[in-house]
Order: sequence, then structure tokens, then C-alpha cells
Amino acid sequence: MSVETVPDTAVISYDAAQGAALAEEMRRDPTVFLMGQDVAMGGFFGGGRGLVEEFGLERVRNTGITEAFMVGAAAGAAMTGMRPVVQLGFADFSLIAGDEIFQKLGKWRHMHGGQFELPAVIIMPIGPSGGAGPEHSGSMEMLPMHFPGLKAVVPSNPADAKGLLKAAIRDPNPVLYYPSKQLNFKRGPVPSDPDLVIPLGQAAIARPGTTVSVISYGCMVPRVLEAAQALSAESIDLEVIDLRTLVPLDRDTILASVTKTGRAMIVHEAPRTAGPGAEIAALIQEHCFYALEAPVARLGAVDAPIPASRFLEDLCFPSVTDIVELARRLARA
Amino acid sequence: MTTVDRTELSVALFTTIARARAVEDALAVHIRDHGFAGYWHPGKGQEAAATGAAAALARDDYLFYQGRGVTWPLAKGMGLGPIIGDLLGKATGSTGGKGAGVPHWADASLGIMGEGASLGSVFHIAAGAALSAKMRGTSQVALADFGDGTSARGTFHETLLQASVWRLPLIYFCENNGISVSTRFEDVSPTKTIAERAAAYGVPGEVVDGHDALAVYDAVAKAVERARAGQGPTLIEATVTRVGGHWEGDAQQYRPADFLADYRDPLEIMRSRVDGDLADKIVAEARDEVAAALEEAEAAPYPDPTVILKDVFA
Ligand SMILES: Cc1ncc(C[n+]2csc(CCOP(=O)(O)OP(=O)(O)O)c2C)c(N)n1
Repeated sequence: MSVETVPDTAVISYDAAQGAALAEEMRRDPTVFLMGQDVAMGGFFGGGRGLVEEFGLERVRNTGITEAFMVGAAAGAAMTGMRPVVQLGFADFSLIAGDEIFQKLGKWRHMHGGQFELPAVIIMPIGPSGGAGPEHSGSMEMLPMHFPGLKAVVPSNPADAKGLLKAAIRDPNPVLYYPSKQLNFKRGPVPSDPDLVIPLGQAAIARPGTTVSVISYGCMVPRVLEAAQALSAESIDLEVIDLRTLVPLDRDTILASVTKTGRAMIVHEAPRTAGPGAEIAALIQEHCFYALEAPVARLGAVDAPIPASRFLEDLCFPSVTDIVELARRLARA
Repeated sequence: MTTVDRTELSVALFTTIARARAVEDALAVHIRDHGFAGYWHPGKGQEAAATGAAAALARDDYLFYQGRGVTWPLAKGMGLGPIIGDLLGKATGSTGGKGAGVPHWADASLGIMGEGASLGSVFHIAAGAALSAKMRGTSQVALADFGDGTSARGTFHETLLQASVWRLPLIYFCENNGISVSTRFEDVSPTKTIAERAAAYGVPGEVVDGHDALAVYDAVAKAVERARAGQGPTLIEATVTRVGGHWEGDAQQYRPADFLADYRDPLEIMRSRVDGDLADKIVAEARDEVAAALEEAEAAPYPDPTVILKDVFA
């Protein structure tokens, strides 16, 4: 696909797609505004360049190194009629704002009897990015699956990055938006239609197949697709599900696929132990036990802090080879 | 500043304190006789602070209170029915009985925006509400109420720093009762007052006698005026007395015998400014109203169990 042949799409990076979503939503709705460290310069990866020129420093608000303040203030602004978007540079720092995210955004509506809406979006990049080190490489997207009251999004490509961020901004609930740092500079076709939103809670079948259902999201989706390509030569036909949102989780798509293939594996960048895969494996076991031809399998990061060494970093995450080998084993089980 | 008739104001402040006191007294008896499903933090002795402060706010100004006593929602206009309903965990409470125990009262139409029970969290939230008011171009202000113990939180610092730079219409309102559970303020603060810390943020800070609702009103009215004029936050420290324990039933073995030596009852201070007969009538009416509301709340149903899974998402 190219810009020339499809005039209403442009090939842009994942990070630029987020910037485009922000610009379009800020244009559409005057209550949308952005807060965070260095957002006025376009953010760490530059995807938000141009926002301050168009919307000014009132709506693109630079803050100090105050993660808890940004998120807490977003809660206050959201419950009083604004739609704040907070940019946390790294998901690891969400723990600094843990009270604000999990106790305030996640609970305020419920604990006050449903009187308030909290339409805030917190953007917090996950995963490694070439030596960012143990305190900057965390994948914390399992947390909102466990703490009620928060939606959670993990886009796997530029088009989804835009469509899901737009949906997150328009949602009346707090949404944690987890872009994958590994995908920041990945480019792809992105529709220009400013009203194209991707509904939260709908997984995509990234590749239909018949042998094994591979459930994945975020930066692992391209790796799973690569593995599927490699295995097609051996007549192993992977069905690849890109979850896109973890809360709400599209249980129907997962269960229908596994019922069809009878084999399932989950691949994610978060640590394997008690990661999203653990929950999804349990879900499949509860609902598809009699359809299964083999035990549900999981791949995730090692249960260790991610070293700053780029050499070691690579070894912490599921590779295409790991995915191929596990899928092959499952297919033959 | 709008001029307010001081006699009328005094009657209004006295009425609020009398009603709050009547709730405190009735609750103490109720808890003794019936037990209680929650963690009640009595506010007896501190009523003047919230009373004076809330009176200086407009109906649509935002209030984020800390959870001691019942005065804040009462003073900001909430009825006794929803207040006591929440205290007893009944469906008639302002949160439908969900926020009971350590009560989470809320009524957005009165600017009562709820409570963050992890103390110190409302600094940020109130600042966000103030920012929202500023961005939407209203003249609303936001008040964050907190205790001396809570002034140690990092959130105190973070918010005041950013709110000062952004000149947010925010009021930090401290009820300094000198104690946090059993920990004395002087043992955990390098400064004698909390108000003096305001200077570090380029914000005015003032100590006011929190036993005197009229003095508190004047201080907060000035801060509100500053905020509405776009001059940014103010920190007000009201010195108050926590007459009771940290929670109802606290044996308070940590307290010295003479801890009430300097205490002056806020109800009596305001009573001295109100005609005697009128004052007696107000007190009697408050008692009757509270007794009736308590009876009503006792008879009211508990919430339907299905509310547990409601309101997780909008
Ligand atoms: C962040 C946090 N830490 C601890 C507690 C437990 N706690 C509840 S009330 C309280 C004392 C608060 O003291 P202060 O701020 O002085 O207010 P006061 O109780 O005197 O009104 C504590 C420690 C809490 N609710 N939140």
C-alpha cells in the first residue's frame, strides 16, 4: 500500500499516528488537552511535534517531574468537564502515580455512587527500547486487568495507534494507553479520516488460520506474524489474534478462535509469570477445555529486571524463533 | 469582596455549627448503643473551620474535603438525609450507601466532589479541578482540605509548586489539630507552622484561629477573592482542636491529661455573637432535625447488593 494508490491514507510512524490522533481530537473537542514533561517540544519521540504551535501552551501544558501531580490533576480536571491526556514518558513511572491511577481514576466514580465520569487518558510507553534499562523497560499493562475501573489499550501498528487513541480520548472512562516503545518508529498506512476510531474491546484477527490460535498484542504481533509466515511453508497455519485492548478483553473472539483451532498460545512482552497470558490461559481452560487438543502455552519476558545492556536486553523477550518453536510443538501435539 | 451582613452571617455560621454538633453528639450515642459498620473519625471541636471556610465558597466552587466529622458536606449545603444515610450505609446516602463507614459524601451539584481517603491525594485532584475551571473560563475556585499530618505528603509539595506557577484558583485549607492519630505535629515538622512553608512556593500563607468560624470565613473569603482575580493559590492554616480520639472509641492513652487546656468551644464562640433566645431555638431545632434524620436513616433500606458491580465504568 502506498500514499499514491490510496489517497485517504498516509504512511506515517506509530508515534506520529498518536500525534495525529491528539491533534485531531484537540481540534474536534476544545475540552481535550495534553499535560506532561516536555510535551511542548513534541514529546520524547517527537510524535506530538506541532501541537504547541497549533493549540498553544494552555492546551499543551509542560509540567515538572511530577507524575503523581499530572495524573491526579487529570482526575480533577476530568471530573469537572475536561478531557485531559497525560503523557508519562515511561510506564515504569506509573507506579509513582499509582495512587492517582489505581485509587483515584479507577475508583472515584464507583466509590461516590456513580456521580462522576472520569474521561482521562494516560499514555505510558512500555517495554525495552535498546538499552533503556531496568527502570525504563517495564511492561505494566497487566495492572489494569487486576485493578478494576480502568480500560487498557496496547496498539500493535500505526493505524491502530491512531484509532485506539481517538477511541480512548472519546471514552467516558479513564483509559491507560500503552504504546510499545519498540514500535515507535515503525511506519504503516494510517487512514486520514478524522472520525475513524477503533472501538475499545474489539480484537482484530491479524491473520486467519486453522492450526493454532496465537493470542498476542503490541510489539509481539509483528513477530507472531513473521513466525506465521515462516510456518506456512510447513503447512502450519497460525490464526493470529491482536487483542488491541486488554480491558475490556474481547473474550468472544479468543474463545471462538480456540474452539475452532483447538490449540492456543499467548505471546506477550510482559513478564510471563502472572502476566496477561496467565489470565487468558485460565479463561481458555475454563471455556474451551473440551475443544483443546493440547495444553495452552505461554511466552513472555523472563522473570528478571531487564538489563541496560542491549546485548542482554534482546535475550529477555520472546523471539520469532521462540514463537516458531512453540507453535510447531503445539501443532504437532 | 461582596459585603455580607455580619449579624446574618453569624446566625448562619452558628446554625451550621449547631447542626454539625448535634450530628456529632447523636452519632456518639448511636455508636455506643448500636455499634457502627465503619471507621468514624469524630470532628467534635473542629466544626468552626469547615463552617467558616465553606461559607466563603460559592455553591459551584469545588470542595475536596478530608474525612473528619460531618461539617464539610453540611456546610456546603448537603441535607442531613444523605449525610446520615451514608454514615449508616443506607441506600438514601449521597453515594447510595456505597461510600459509607469512612464516608465518601458527594454531590456534584453542590460542588461537593468527594473524598480521597488515601490522604494527600486531594491536593492534586483539587488542582485539576482548579485548572479545569481556569481553562473553561469560569470563576470557580477549588478548596483542598487537609490535616497537619497530611501536610507531610509529597503531594503537598508537588501541587503547590505547579499550582503556583500556573496561578491556579486553588485554596489549601489545613485543619491543624496538632495531632495525627497519636503523632504530634511538632515531632514531625521542622517548621512551627504549615503556613510559613507557603513562602517557598511564592504563595501567601496565613494562620487563623480555627475555633472562630468568623475569623476563618474572613481568611478564606480573602483567598477566594485572590483566586478569582487570577492571583493563584493561598495556604490557610486553621488551628483547631480534636476533642475526641482519632476514631470513635479510641482510648487515647497517648494523650496528656491537660491536652484540652487551651481549647475554646467553637459553638460557644459563635453563640456569643447571636441573640440568646435565637441561639437556644437554633440548638433545639438542630437536635430535633438530627434525631428525625437518624430515625429515618435507621429505617431506610441497605443498598441492593447489585450496586457492588455498578458504576465500575460509565
Ligand atoms: C496516605 C495515607 N496514609 C495513612 C492513612 C491512615 N490515616 C488515616 S487518618 C490518619 C491521620 C491523619 O492525620 P491528619 O492529617 O493530621 O488529620 P486528622 O486526622 O488530624 O484530622 C492516618 C495516618 C491514610 N488514610 N492515608
